[in-house]
Amino acid sequence: MGNIKTAMFVLWFTITLVVIMSSSVLKNRVQVLERRLNTINSNIQKDIADIHVLKAEWSLQNTPDRLRKLAYEQLSLENARPEQIINYSALQFNNETAGNVKPAGSKKQFTTLVKAEVKKNAQ
Amino acid sequence: MSFNVNFSKRKVDKFYLPGQEIRISRGSFASKGFTTENDNVSVCRQRTVFALFCFVFAYIILGAKLSYVCLGNGINIDTAITDQNDPDVIRFKNPVKRADILDRNGEIIATSLPTVNLYANTKQIKHPKDVAEKLNFIFPEISYDRFMQLLSRRGAFIYLKRNLSPQQQLQVNNLGIPGLEFENCEKRIYPHKNLFAHVLGNTDVDNVGIAGIEKSMNERLTSSTKPLYLSLDIGVQNTIRKELLEGVKKFNAAGAAAILMDAKTGRIVALTSVPDFDPNQNLSINERAMFNFATKGIYEAGSVFKVFNTALSLESGKVKPTDRFDTSHAVVVGRKKITDPHGSHGMLTPEDILVESSNIGSTLEILRVGKKYQRQFLQKINMDKALSEFELPEIATPQFLSERRWGDVSMATISYGYGISSTPLHIITAFSAVVNGGMYHQPTLLSDSKHKGKRVVSEKTSESMRQFLRAVVTRGTGRHSNVDGYQVIGKTGTADKLENGRYNSKKSISSFVSAFPASNPQYAMIVVMDDPKASKETYGYTTAGWNAVPISKNIISAIAPQLNVKVDFDIEKQRSVVNAAYKRP
Repeated sequence: MGNIKTAMFVLWFTITLVVIMSSSVLKNRVQVLERRLNTINSNIQKDIADIHVLKAEWSLQNTPDRLRKLAYEQLSLENARPEQIINYSALQFNNETAGNVKPAGSKKQFTTLVKAEVKKNAQ
Repeated sequence: MSFNVNFSKRKVDKFYLPGQEIRISRGSFASKGFTTENDNVSVCRQRTVFALFCFVFAYIILGAKLSYVCLGNGINIDTAITDQNDPDVIRFKNPVKRADILDRNGEIIATSLPTVNLYANTKQIKHPKDVAEKLNFIFPEISYDRFMQLLSRRGAFIYLKRNLSPQQQLQVNNLGIPGLEFENCEKRIYPHKNLFAHVLGNTDVDNVGIAGIEKSMNERLTSSTKPLYLSLDIGVQNTIRKELLEGVKKFNAAGAAAILMDAKTGRIVALTSVPDFDPNQNLSINERAMFNFATKGIYEAGSVFKVFNTALSLESGKVKPTDRFDTSHAVVVGRKKITDPHGSHGMLTPEDILVESSNIGSTLEILRVGKKYQRQFLQKINMDKALSEFELPEIATPQFLSERRWGDVSMATISYGYGISSTPLHIITAFSAVVNGGMYHQPTLLSDSKHKGKRVVSEKTSESMRQFLRAVVTRGTGRHSNVDGYQVIGKTGTADKLENGRYNSKKSISSFVSAFPASNPQYAMIVVMDDPKASKETYGYTTAGWNAVPISKNIISAIAPQLNVKVDFDIEKQRSVVNAAYKRP
């Protein structure tokens, strides 16, 4: 009986110790994780707010007037005109002559030629 | 440590444990499986040991689990946070409460930014003069006296400045003055400024919609943070507004308005009215700039109405496309003598009546049809009532004559656009129905609207009308709107302005309704010029053909490629352009 009592005492003591230790460690880990979670939540919330502001800023930076101005100044791009849109079947694919054909020299010359032809067609 | 179990070597004939005195009868449930041999203490001890082992077992499981969680890697916090299926995981919401408004491509056209208001609890402020001086330094736009006035009030919540910038908030915070507090709030922002002024409207200081979509959809915008998609297109809207502004400047007009509608669905792709205003500025704005002419401006449409007159005449079956009307002489209806401003045109078909914009021809058509059918048709295309289903609160009810006043003279004048007034929105919606195959769709600004539409004219009538209106552009008053490759159809209209019940022949409202491409119109557009002035360039004319039409042409030339409308060029002509570009023979 004495052995059982001792064994039970040791067992209970060990278990209680494990439970106390574990509870303590668990509490500590939970607190650490909670702090980490709160930080993460706070950062996420801040990031969401920041992204919202950035989206508004992006929208402000992408106003059509500004883009038009930048495209013209930086890339020499203008709105596409109807006469610039060419039907696929209007293009001639002749391999024999393709090598000899070169587009009109400068951009200005090219535009002049196209405009003259469009005007001629319109008449 | 003491146990109530009898582990001691005490004699069993005494009661040491509670319940020991209870007699346990052999064969009872409690004694089954135990060797009691009439020894109550022994039974009790066995039970206690059994219970003890149960507890020990439970403790072992609990301890093992705790050890696993604490010492092992029982919880993975990263997966726990990102687990979307777990209902316990926190969902993050945008802190901004009022939903964004987006165009049909998802671009932001109205949004709210989180900001703060500065308020004072004056009971806690000990030195108001000092505080006013410091605040005046941070906010120079508010005078020292004004701050003193505010701080001299007794109260726990007195607004000093709304919508502080983060920098201003930091500066105030750094003052460290007790009694100065911040209130979280949000401010409505319109990144495109004037571009959508008349559509979006604006909000008051408390972020409550007071005009436009902001007002009509206030509940929707505040009840959910899900963005509201409109049918508008930023690029197209910008192009149209730019052309309108140039037109207003060029023709020195009092204002202008334009609506571009998807002819197949009634969705508005662009709606603009100039002059306009910047909704970001809560300044006093003049009344004209606040007025949305596109939806609220009622005017007599003039010859544009001949489109509906011809359509209803064909639809009635009493007029055929091949019929000819003698317009060489003035027509007298009642006491009214109706003439054509540009002289007589002789015999005209319904197509020619539209091409020449003949008042006499239109009158002759309607005389065949009759006023009853005319009135019914105009009611069918909603010319008699406000378009209350439209999302903007700024809408007007057309001036529609009562049946009693709808006499013969009214019937005749209405046939060419005088006598009843309507808004540009009414006209473009009805025009879309006439040219799109005959289906009337309620106009809408919402991209997800699914209005089925109602038939107002037959497909045959609609096809004839497209043919007639194409002729107006190729050889009639709308020829300056012909955009090569897009087959524009349209009709001009110019009407004298009605001022104080009298027509002012020196002021007019000119308009041009158009659609493209003619074979299967995808888009319909109306451009209205309010009081355009004559110039050398227009040879002294103020009619629509000289102002609204060229503006429309510029707009269509620019937006048709943007809208991916298929170009219908003559292949040979195109080929010659390509060859010219490449210096081919």
